[in-house]
Amino acid sequence: MITTVSRDASLIVVAAGLIVAAVAVARTRRAPLALALLLDFFTAAALIRLAAPPSWPALGAAALTIAIRQLAGHALTAARGARHR
Amino acid sequence: MSLADGFGEHNLEDVVSVLVRVVEAAGAAIIFVGAVIAFVRFLLLAFRREGMDPFAQLRLNLGRFLVLGLEFQLAADILRTAVAPNFTELAQLATVAAIRTALNFFLGIEIKEETELVRADKAAAAATVPGAAPGTTAKPP
Repeated sequence: MITTVSRDASLIVVAAGLIVAAVAVARTRRAPLALALLLDFFTAAALIRLAAPPSWPALGAAALTIAIRQLAGHALTAARGARHR
Repeated sequence: MSLADGFGEHNLEDVVSVLVRVVEAAGAAIIFVGAVIAFVRFLLLAFRREGMDPFAQLRLNLGRFLVLGLEFQLAADILRTAVAPNFTELAQLATVAAIRTALNFFLGIEIKEETELVRADKAAAAATVPGAAPGTTAKPP
């Protein structure tokens, strides 16, 4: 039951992230901002999915999502930081 | 009846596994609620204001919810080490704990950096609009 609930909740968060990213691009025309928001929501979804009893494929997927998110997030933060220097 | 009968290993396992589920679910619920709040606030902000600052603030808030949820989930991992029965489960637990600890660490750094950038953005915006924020504008020579 926890597996079903956590999978559904993570899907809702993924959908929310996609909507947020689409609206952010449409409203601000800033793709990096939209990407950062999307990655935040995907991280939240990966963490919710990890709450279910884990299996190796699920763990691998969560680890990959979070690793990609960290890499992209650092690149975006570095780009923003460079603007202020 | 001895103490070992009353608090046998199986009873302990049952109690701890219920606790683990409760704490784990609390962590997941916090993260889910944080995402929902961020989603609603984002939609409200997107159709009201322009600019970057409110969205950066929103990401900060979501990040804080993630960190709080992660703390709960790490607590559940620690509880689970008390009853992990076989090597496979222990290995999976170690992997989950490693992912969560690393993410918690990086999110902490990110929140710190983001807070500084939000502050820098605000200072830059105040400097370009004279009189917008007293004390943050450049002083005349």
